[in-house]
Amino acid sequence: MAELTLVEAINLAYAEELRRDDKVFLVGQDIRGGIFPHTMGLVQEFGPDRIVDTPIAESGMFGVAFGAAQEGFRPVVDFMFGGFSYVTFSEASVTTGQYYFLHGSQHPLPLVMTAAVGTGMRLANDHAMSIHGTFAHHPGIKVAMPSTPYDAKGLMKAAIRDNNPVMIPWHMGIMQERGEVPDDDYIVPLGKADVKLAGSDVTVLANSMQLKHALAVAKKLEGEIDVEVIDPRSFVPFDMETLLISLEKTNRLVIIDEDWESGGFAATLSARVMEQAFDLLDAPVIRVTMANMPVPGGYMEEYVAPNPTKIEAAIRQVCA
Amino acid sequence: MSLNKEQMRTLYRNLVRADHMNNMMYQRMLQGKLIGFYHPSDGAIAPGVGACSFLNEDDNLSPHHRGHGITHMLSKGIDIRYYLAEHTGKDTGCCGGRSAFHFSFPKQKVYMMSGFIGYNFAPSVGWGWAAKRRNQGQVVMNCSGDGSYGQGRAHEAMLMAMNWRLPIIFFCENNGMAIHSEISDMHPTEDVSSLAQGYGMPAMVIDGQDVFACAEAAMAAIERARNGKGPTFIEAKTLRIKEHDMGTPDLKGWEARTEEEREELKQRDPLVLATARVLAEGILSQADIDQLHEQASAEVQEIEDFADNSEIARPSEEELLADVFAP
Repeated sequence: MAELTLVEAINLAYAEELRRDDKVFLVGQDIRGGIFPHTMGLVQEFGPDRIVDTPIAESGMFGVAFGAAQEGFRPVVDFMFGGFSYVTFSEASVTTGQYYFLHGSQHPLPLVMTAAVGTGMRLANDHAMSIHGTFAHHPGIKVAMPSTPYDAKGLMKAAIRDNNPVMIPWHMGIMQERGEVPDDDYIVPLGKADVKLAGSDVTVLANSMQLKHALAVAKKLEGEIDVEVIDPRSFVPFDMETLLISLEKTNRLVIIDEDWESGGFAATLSARVMEQAFDLLDAPVIRVTMANMPVPGGYMEEYVAPNPTKIEAAIRQVCA
Repeated sequence: MSLNKEQMRTLYRNLVRADHMNNMMYQRMLQGKLIGFYHPSDGAIAPGVGACSFLNEDDNLSPHHRGHGITHMLSKGIDIRYYLAEHTGKDTGCCGGRSAFHFSFPKQKVYMMSGFIGYNFAPSVGWGWAAKRRNQGQVVMNCSGDGSYGQGRAHEAMLMAMNWRLPIIFFCENNGMAIHSEISDMHPTEDVSSLAQGYGMPAMVIDGQDVFACAEAAMAAIERARNGKGPTFIEAKTLRIKEHDMGTPDLKGWEARTEEEREELKQRDPLVLATARVLAEGILSQADIDQLHEQASAEVQEIEDFADNSEIARPSEEELLADVFAP
């Protein structure tokens, strides 16, 4: 057991899977040297044939992963920043999502996509946007996002071993957060939520940096409002069961999502809860999301993106 | 690289088969017995036959969309019964009848068709990368039209293929038109293959109406690739006798093509040219040729019977939902 940062935990997952299975390899741009520390030291152990740098050519880069996955390899393709996945989005979303199903569900496509996302570094839209909801919109792709170093290692290993395309964005705002990470060969199953804090007044669903915010607000409200905090961990498949069990107890729901309000995962989930559990609700579901503007950079993201102030206001509103 | 008689007979036979199957698809579309659309391959079957008749089963192939890849796939030895069944929405189709015109024969390494022109380039890099890493001599035959080279993906693939010396053949079937747009309007140089020069990739321009020339060029490029010498660009100058897509107007730019133009193109039909040559060189007799046509007719009949006697695929929504992810 070691205390690692979130990016170190991802690095450990890569190293363990690369050692375990010769079919696993990484492809990206400047992952040998490393723009982010999550690939640091890998080329020294595994060599340039398995830690593959490509030219700045996202479609070709993604094609290495896609074609090699069809050939039986198990690639991890790193877009660097999540916004860059849009450069090859037809391949990464449409073609990837449809490949297995449309062709008769006869030939799996085991590939992992990953990218750094989110606010917290004041980098603005194309370097700060959320992509989990956009990928979750396309059937055939699993999507999960770690909130802790433990989950980062476990989800990444689960994704690499899954026989489907899996998108694992990770949040820059918590990349240096530390946590206990066991040395054992464990996985965190895709599609399994984690109840981070038990409570009885309201359920708050939050992930990644917003989970950190939600937990801080719940602590602040201790003794006043009893907040249950759930980390979905996966968006596709989504663990509806855990959420519904929680709602039976709390009857109130706040969804925190750093994605935009319009068409985001929070909107989908809010509708699902209404369809499947309307009778459990004592108040309308409230969403705390990014307003429908390109994510501003500089010092504006702190008050534009979901933050503890907005989360607290939402919790108070739903409990009023 | 010169062809022996047996190889020439194989090529001629596949040309006859491709011609019959194109006619079958055309007729079925007219009769309303084909789902979706059909992009006829009249006049343009020599490049596919030449490029694919001597591939191994474990070589990757992405077929040109013209003729819906049938020319290429039959030349690689794929049983077209399962594709026609797919194209007619039947449960015996290669994708269970759910893909419309898409195809997938993973065992024969024709993995996919996507509806995006130029989709083939990015996966080709991955197939080539995998082949190089395995080092067992597999090659990637990457066939697509002149129009597809407008895609940035084509350039990314050429860049990476040459950079890593991947065993990929960029086989450009240049018919001079993309839907209605003339290549002179869309491309700045005489030859698409001049693009290869920028990547330091060997390139050649060949007569795409001559199936034997297509095969000779393909075999040379395949041998280079198998021996670790990297990619080759082959530009086969071909033509398109019919419209882009059945039912759409047959235009050149925005003017209708004339009957005279079409008639002139028919003089250069690859089957007409190949027939003259095999007869003149004594490779086949007229009786042999007649027999090949009979065999091709019988094969087409078998393909159609198989599709027509299969059930329409109508799995339940629940069954389909259970099929979205692999176990």
